[in-house]
Parts: sequence; structure tokens; C-alpha cells
Amino acid sequence: MPHPTTARRIAIVDSVVCDACGLCMPLCPPEAIHMTRRGLEVEAETCTGCEKCIAPCPVGALEMVDADR
Amino acid sequence: MPTADVLIVGGGPAGCVAAWEAAAAGASHVLLIERDRAIGAPVRCAEGVGSEGLREFLNPDGAPWVARKITKVIFWAPDDTEVVLRSRDVGYVLDRTRFEPALADRAAQAGAEIRIGTEAVRMERANGAWRVELRGPKGDETWTAKVVIGADGVETMVGRWAGLDTRVASRNMESCAQYVVGNIEFDPDAIYLHFGPSVAPGGYAWIFPKGVGVANVGLGVVALRSDGRNARQYLDDYLAKHFPHGTVTGLTVGGVISGVTVKHTVADGVMLAGDAAHMINPLSGGGIVNAMKAGRLAGRHAARAVRAGDTSAASLQAYHDEWMDLLGSSHLLYYKLKETINKFDDDFLNRLAATVRGIPLEKRTLGRVMASALAHHPSLLPLAAKLFVQELL
Repeated sequence: MPHPTTARRIAIVDSVVCDACGLCMPLCPPEAIHMTRRGLEVEAETCTGCEKCIAPCPVGALEMVDADR
Repeated sequence: MPTADVLIVGGGPAGCVAAWEAAAAGASHVLLIERDRAIGAPVRCAEGVGSEGLREFLNPDGAPWVARKITKVIFWAPDDTEVVLRSRDVGYVLDRTRFEPALADRAAQAGAEIRIGTEAVRMERANGAWRVELRGPKGDETWTAKVVIGADGVETMVGRWAGLDTRVASRNMESCAQYVVGNIEFDPDAIYLHFGPSVAPGGYAWIFPKGVGVANVGLGVVALRSDGRNARQYLDDYLAKHFPHGTVTGLTVGGVISGVTVKHTVADGVMLAGDAAHMINPLSGGGIVNAMKAGRLAGRHAARAVRAGDTSAASLQAYHDEWMDLLGSSHLLYYKLKETINKFDDDFLNRLAATVRGIPLEKRTLGRVMASALAHHPSLLPLAAKLFVQELL
């Protein structure tokens, strides 16, 4: 059950670079990443800022940003 | 509300075979849905399969979905020392844009309904069955399904919706990138596997011929072992070094799960098969044959459970047990072997390659290669003993 995150930095997807391969989805411990018609998206309120999705992306489409952005 | 005995989410090798087998076993309404607008495309795969496993499902002789027949395996050490393994009927590089539709056609001939451009967006349990919301080209439709087979790949959602844990540890995810490269020279009867932390840390680079002069050239890396480059950057550097004059005509990227089968592949009215259940061979990264074998088991068990009127987790557990007996248990061993090989540094691999080249080609079997490795690393002995008992290939 997602609860509001207290993370100060969260992950976001660059939809121009992202190929929607879905590799990041099972890597996310709170299951915050979803495949939508618009592509892959990180649920901001669920992301805990653990950064486990960042380095494994084959094209570097994920990055960390300040949560209050 | 439309009803299916068996609803299969995902039209890849696992899903297509599951649909084929469920329909052939007498399930009366089998629906296979594929999110993309085509079965088999886009290709997110190196497309290599072993001959023996493939032939359990379709005959490759003269088939239009074969890109290239392979009779040799060539290992490259980090310093590019080449080691050829003795030839046999090794396998094939497929054209999956034609292979998957051939599987889907079989499923349809057996009586399954197939819908492309259709995805499952939600699933909830109601009255001993699953209520699944489908989104397709004509809008949304809710189906009732007695059994749902999650063949929805590395990005699986069916498992999540059914309360199964399908998460992957970082050390078990191979980040992969692959180009289709033309105008290059290589032996078109061979697949090449290039090892070494400098080449592809935690994985390997591959050249899988699609034809004379054109091949799938790719690699997989474990991000934890990377020097900061992502998979595509490793691949660009690899290409610049080995095929600087090649013509890149395609790119695909994706994740290959190199862990072992998920602990629970079964829930009430649910079975997971293929990549969704982490059924890829941890050592080779090959998943097509495993997916088809699991799909076959899942399809048969789905039909059996529906016929018996018992689609509970307890009834479907036989699917999990049968998979573990068939291949899942072997994967535990292959996983340990993979972890051991990952500890080899470039220098060890170079020395190993040099040693193996000292063995005459006609005597150069996988067994002798392993023996050479053991001579340098006695700590491999217990693992190797188990391996020869269980038969690697």
C-alpha cells in the first residue's frame, strides 16, 4: 500500500531517452514505477529515493531530482 | 460480462505456448492478449535458441523464422584470444518477428482467441475468479477469468496484482543493449561470446549472426559492477573497438533477469511463466526455450484445474513443482556457477583461454574447458562435480 514518501530526492524518467523496456520496474522495492500509455512513470509519492533504478537503466533515462520540484 | 477459462497476459513465447497448450488440452475459452500492436515485434532479444529445446515445439528445418543455423560456439577472452568449442547441432538465431506469430498461429489453430493492441490494466478477485479490466483498440472491457497466466515479461504486473513478489535484486539484473550491425566480418555459422570485466562486467558481449555479414551485436552488464557507463555506452565503446566500420541498423535495450525462479509462481487462479517468473537461465541469459517449456506446463495445468473445478493455489502448485523439477532446480546450480565466473578477472580468463587453446580442437569439449578452469581454481571442484552429475548442456 503506497504511503506518502518522505524522500528528499526522487527518481524521474526522461521520456525522450526512455525506451520503455521496463527493466527498472522490478528493481523498485516499493513498486513505484508503472508502464502507462505515455510511457514509464515514477509515482512521486511512492518513491523512497533509494536510487536502485538509476544506474541499471541501459540508456540512462532515470535521474534523481529534489522531491519538491 | 465475457468469460474465459484461461486468460493469458503476454504474447511472447511463454504466452503463445500456454495458449496453444491450454486450448489443445480442452480449455473451452482461451484468450491471449498482447499489449503491442504486433506479436513478435518489436524484438527485444538476442534471438538465440538451443536446437534440442526448440525442436520440442517447432521444426526449424527450412522454417521461414530461422535467421541463421549455428554449428559453433566461439568464446573470446578479454584479450581477444579465441577459443572454439567443438561443433554439434548447436542451435539457431531466430527472426522473432516471424517466430512468435508462428507460435500464435498454432495457438489459434488449437482454438485460442488472440487480441493484439490489448493490455490488462487491473485485476481483482471476485467469487473465486478474476475480474480483469482489458484496454484495447475499441475501448475498455471487463472479463471474468477462471485462470490468469502472467506471461507479461520482465515488467510483469500480473504477479503484483495477485500478491506475488516479482521484484529483482540489483545484482541479478543484466542491463542489456544490442545493435543490429551490417557490413561486418565474422563466421556466420558461429555465435561469439566475449567475456571479461573490461568487456561486460557481470555479463558478456555476444555476436549472434542474422545472416552473412550482419549480426545482433550486444552485451549485458550488471550496473553494480560498472565503471559508471550504462549498457549502451559499453556497447558503443565495444563497437568502436571491434566493428568500427559496421553499419548500425537497429537498437534494442532491456533487462535480462539472471536470478533464480521466483519463490512463488502460483496464487489462487494465477500462474506466472517465462521472464515474469524469472525463469531465464542464470548462466547463459537464454530465456526463450525456458519460457516455452513453462508456458506448456502452465497451459496444461490451467486446463486441468478448470476441468477439475479447482483453480486454487493448492491445485496449481503442481505447476510450480513440475517446473522446479524440470529446470528450476538446475537454475540454482547455474546461478552459483555464474556468481563464481563473475569473480574471474581479465587475467584469469586470458590464462584460461590460452590453456584451452593447448587442447586439440577435436578434443575441446565443454568438459575439458571446465577441467582447465579447475586446474587453476581448485575451489570450483565441488560445484563442477554437481554440474557433471546434472549435465550442463
